[in-house]
Amino acid sequence: MNKTRQLSFRLVRGTVAILIALLVAMVLVFISVEGDSIADKFSATAGALRNLLIAPLFDEGAGFNLKRLTDILAAMIPTIFTGLSVCVMFSANEFNLGGEGSAMLGAFSAAMGAIYIPFAGLASFSVGLATGLHILLCLLIAAVSCALMMLIPAVLKAKLQVSEMVCSLMLNYVVMYVIKYLMNTHLADKSKGLIQSFAFQPTAQIPQLVDNGSKLSWGFVIALGFVGITALFMYRSRWGYAIRMLGFNKDFVKYAGIRSGSMIVLSQLVGGLLAGLGGGIIMLGRYTTFSWGALPGYGWTGITIAILAGNNPIFVPFAAFFMAYLNKGCDLMATYAGVPSQLIDILQALIFLFFAAEQFLSRYRQKLVVRSAQKGLSAGGGKEARADA
Amino acid sequence: MLDFLQTLFRADFFFSILRITTPILFATLAAVIVEKAGISNIGLEGIMMISALFGSLCAYWASSWIAGLLAALLVGVLVALLMGVFAFNLKTDVILVGIAVNMIGSGGTLFLVKVITNLTEGKALASTTSLAVSANQIPSISIPLIRDIPLVGEILSGHSLLTYLAFALVFVTWVLLYKTAPGLNLRAVGENPHAASSVGVSVLKMRYVAIGLSGLMAGFGGAFMSMSYAAGWSQDMVAGRGFIALAAQAMGGGEPLGSMFSALLFGFAQAFGIKLSSKGVDSNLASPIPYVVTILGLLFFALFKRRSGSLRHRAHKKGASK
Amino acid sequence: MAENTYAVQMLGITKIYPNGIAANQDVDFCVREGEIHALMGENGAGKTTLMKMLFGLEEPSSGEIYIHGEYVQLTSPAVAIAHGIGMVHQHFMLVPSLTVAENMVLGMAPKKAGLFIDRERAIALTKQYAERFNLHVDPEAKVADIPVGMKQKVEILKALVRGAKILILDEPTAVLTTQETAELFKEFLRLKEQGFTLIFISHKLNEIMQITDRLSILRGGRFMGAHDTGAVSKEEISRLMVGRDVVLSVEKQPAQPTAPVLRVRDLEYTNAWGKKMLDKVSFTVRRGEILGIAGVEGNGQKELVDMLFNLSRPSAGTIEVNGENILGLSQRKIRDKRVSLVPEDRMLYGIAGEASIEENLIADRAHTKALNAGPFFRMRKIHALADALVRQYTVLCSSARQKVSMLSGGNIQKVVVAREFSNDPVLIIAQQPTRGIDVGATQFIRSKLVELSREGVAVLLVSADLNEVMELSDSLLVMYGGRIAAYFEDTAGLTDEQMGQYMLGLQTQSQQEIGRVCHE
Repeated sequence: MNKTRQLSFRLVRGTVAILIALLVAMVLVFISVEGDSIADKFSATAGALRNLLIAPLFDEGAGFNLKRLTDILAAMIPTIFTGLSVCVMFSANEFNLGGEGSAMLGAFSAAMGAIYIPFAGLASFSVGLATGLHILLCLLIAAVSCALMMLIPAVLKAKLQVSEMVCSLMLNYVVMYVIKYLMNTHLADKSKGLIQSFAFQPTAQIPQLVDNGSKLSWGFVIALGFVGITALFMYRSRWGYAIRMLGFNKDFVKYAGIRSGSMIVLSQLVGGLLAGLGGGIIMLGRYTTFSWGALPGYGWTGITIAILAGNNPIFVPFAAFFMAYLNKGCDLMATYAGVPSQLIDILQALIFLFFAAEQFLSRYRQKLVVRSAQKGLSAGGGKEARADA
Repeated sequence: MLDFLQTLFRADFFFSILRITTPILFATLAAVIVEKAGISNIGLEGIMMISALFGSLCAYWASSWIAGLLAALLVGVLVALLMGVFAFNLKTDVILVGIAVNMIGSGGTLFLVKVITNLTEGKALASTTSLAVSANQIPSISIPLIRDIPLVGEILSGHSLLTYLAFALVFVTWVLLYKTAPGLNLRAVGENPHAASSVGVSVLKMRYVAIGLSGLMAGFGGAFMSMSYAAGWSQDMVAGRGFIALAAQAMGGGEPLGSMFSALLFGFAQAFGIKLSSKGVDSNLASPIPYVVTILGLLFFALFKRRSGSLRHRAHKKGASK
Repeated sequence: MAENTYAVQMLGITKIYPNGIAANQDVDFCVREGEIHALMGENGAGKTTLMKMLFGLEEPSSGEIYIHGEYVQLTSPAVAIAHGIGMVHQHFMLVPSLTVAENMVLGMAPKKAGLFIDRERAIALTKQYAERFNLHVDPEAKVADIPVGMKQKVEILKALVRGAKILILDEPTAVLTTQETAELFKEFLRLKEQGFTLIFISHKLNEIMQITDRLSILRGGRFMGAHDTGAVSKEEISRLMVGRDVVLSVEKQPAQPTAPVLRVRDLEYTNAWGKKMLDKVSFTVRRGEILGIAGVEGNGQKELVDMLFNLSRPSAGTIEVNGENILGLSQRKIRDKRVSLVPEDRMLYGIAGEASIEENLIADRAHTKALNAGPFFRMRKIHALADALVRQYTVLCSSARQKVSMLSGGNIQKVVVAREFSNDPVLIIAQQPTRGIDVGATQFIRSKLVELSREGVAVLLVSADLNEVMELSDSLLVMYGGRIAAYFEDTAGLTDEQMGQYMLGLQTQSQQEIGRVCHE
């Protein structure tokens, strides 16, 4: 089977996977919409699906809705980062699921920087310089704190073969509770009714790209920049190369003299760094105080995105767009059709289950293989297709 | 300090350890069985969430805890078998299948509960607590004779039916794995699937049996969560117990009895945390204790394993030089 | 009814694997009732695949199978077993943590109360069969603890206890000693007398001449005919198997070895189960020579290579390269001392199948200054290097950016060899360098090894292929039972028979004779 045929097979499979997920969604929507008769229910379902599939970009009269597009783009900012983070870690076959905790820790530590690092002095001298430096410093704190957090599962895995998965999952809870504790006790702005921090200094707020309330900040541009950086790291540097080889075959890596322990640690450090940046950027670009009381869910979406992108950073923005689009659709369905927005979780799980299913449609593929092998045999006498089993 | 310890080590504390260990133990046994067959089921968390929801709802609809329990078990097994279809037949990485089930367990259950009951408590939170009546909860049993023994009676008697069942299932699991024909097949499939299939044992079938049993156990765990531990289902109520169970399985060396002790350790940690917060320590500081203990447990277990490994190596070296 | 005298008829069998490799093409394989039938062919000729189809482990892409004249569809081993077919696999199909008796009854355990295993009856059953077929095993021992010969017996008993009338034996003698082999053959003849049909896979000519009635030959997945064993000569068979009259020969100038490169002294290794796998192994490999290590597999060769590359740690001894210790160094540091390794299992250790040819070629040097500029790869240099190596080592591919797993076995091995030979090595450790690959690639790799050694590289060649070690080596070690059994300074004039004596432990040289390999 040649390359183009393999690619087209993948395309077909991906499309079918999405269609199946949408079909299941349709059934679930059908069950959940209100309606007195079957016909009523059908029309309600159709309406709801219109909300899911078309409304995220187009209004009733098929007019393009710019605000919703910017909403979607804004929602992509953190998930691009967590998607990239998962790409790097899963490429090394490290099933670190700490993206959730990292995103929260990153957001929290960036917020702390935004509140407590004194930049007022510099701002009186030059607002532009102060803003740039302050944001940079906050994001640096976010990235480093998350990289340090990931150091725990990474080192335990590399040195003692402790499951990075269980360890990182436990860390998510620890991070969440510790942040909640700090917020409740020491850091909350007691003058407010809700548990929230003091306001960020203006110098720490990432400026908006489009000022229409979508909260599409310059963070989006930074995210796209990191897509490029991560792609370069994975495909054009010795470290990314070693991480990918480790994921392909860890014995091979050992025999070739690549330090697999260091790569196990590095992949998770980079993963933590990226997820932490995502958390920090969304915090400084979207909010003015820190008020998260639970894990944000970006880590899980990141896993779906990485799987849709085949662990390739370049495809991450497209997958992130797709997921943000669906998410927006689910929100609209919830608003206008009364379908609970958590449908997105079921949709997401289904899409990635089928996407990652290697044997899905395998009969169809085997047919392709046999056909092309037989063609090869009749043409070349089967010299190339020698058995090595 | 001494005062605190005194209040800590009282009968009610030990009672609560057993109660808190119960769901972890169910999930741990699920992990033990499925790992013996060579499969990592990280979806236990999600299965428990889904089972907990359907258990609580069915108990309400049928006004019977038995119906609720059966529904929880059925749903647990079905979800697990569905995982099997993806993992074994469609060859999705079993870890990813687990992650997907956990996604459904956390967000999907919320969707279902909203659709099914039209209940909403605000936009983000939901639970079936308002539906739970004590008659639909799994009954507690006070054991004659034992309940009259001072201290011991206070600790051991009066638990939920499922708590006794969980500890009984440790023994049952051991018998199943080591004394029965299906258990033999299951272990063979886990250790050398080729050997098993070469004598006509269907590897696929045994894997389905194993994951189905793990679903059953997780179903018990879920039922306990929503019909005994708490009144009704609420969002993310399983709170990582499915993952803690994976750690307990690893620390118990994959054996039923050893894993039970690890589960008890985590139960202790959680009971301790709850006790602390009842003594006025911030609950956000006490809640992460079981998770920290899990990480530390894994760490010490790995250190211990490495040490005993190197000791064995040295013993051989000694033997060789003689 | 003439056709009913056949126990097995496999007609027009073609098997294409999902990766597009055709393992069998239009094969007709027929075995008569009650005979010992040899299935012969080189590594990779498709013997094992054909037998897997007969045992229901694989399904043919096309073709028909008849058992005792009856058309069957063997969809799983369970179906094959029900048709009276049993298979003894080359790699034992036993569960190490279970006892012999438990392995015996796996999948058919005698039960008490419908569920529980009746341990006593399992043991009794094992004993009963062991006695009836004169294959003595200890029913209560754990399989992990019993010797190889006994494992083989358990395997045969396992098939018999399931009512097998047709026994497939996949290279049953590969791991056995001479005595064990002789004993096994007696068993085979006894089984034949009792009416069993045996299919015997092997590529050892002598064994086949000794006990089989008829033989079938496969070459490159195609059927090359069936013959009565008595009616064909060894030369004829070998011509049919390898498709040429002479064994491969490589042009070779006499070696002029100079300074010692690899110096191994008193190496000892005891494995995790307490078995001594290496016992006082000492030798030296010098610049410009190929030192071969021959021996039946499992006599410590694999362990020796593992020690040299720090894949496990010896209990005692020293290893030096050019006078510097390499024992306990990381693989990176060992490679920094310009040591190359062609590992024995290319798919497991030699390549990353999902990566491109290029990525596989740079694995040992991706970190070097030559290929990096700051944090980034010098892609142009890497492309140039890969393209040059692909050309130089005649790797058949559409481009160096192609996935390695899409290549044939021979070309995959060429990728491994291209990497290991091109990094300016002082020492090459080549472990089974041509196992299971086609003749062209074999010839190419062997001449490359000789060429490099004549340019001054020290080569340690570890191979179970007797032709290969005898053909390539300048001098030769034989390993038996973890020790060096013999050293031949010159391979000229050595005969297979002589080698066999040492390889099977029938003879051992004196300490002085063996000590010469240290060149001190």
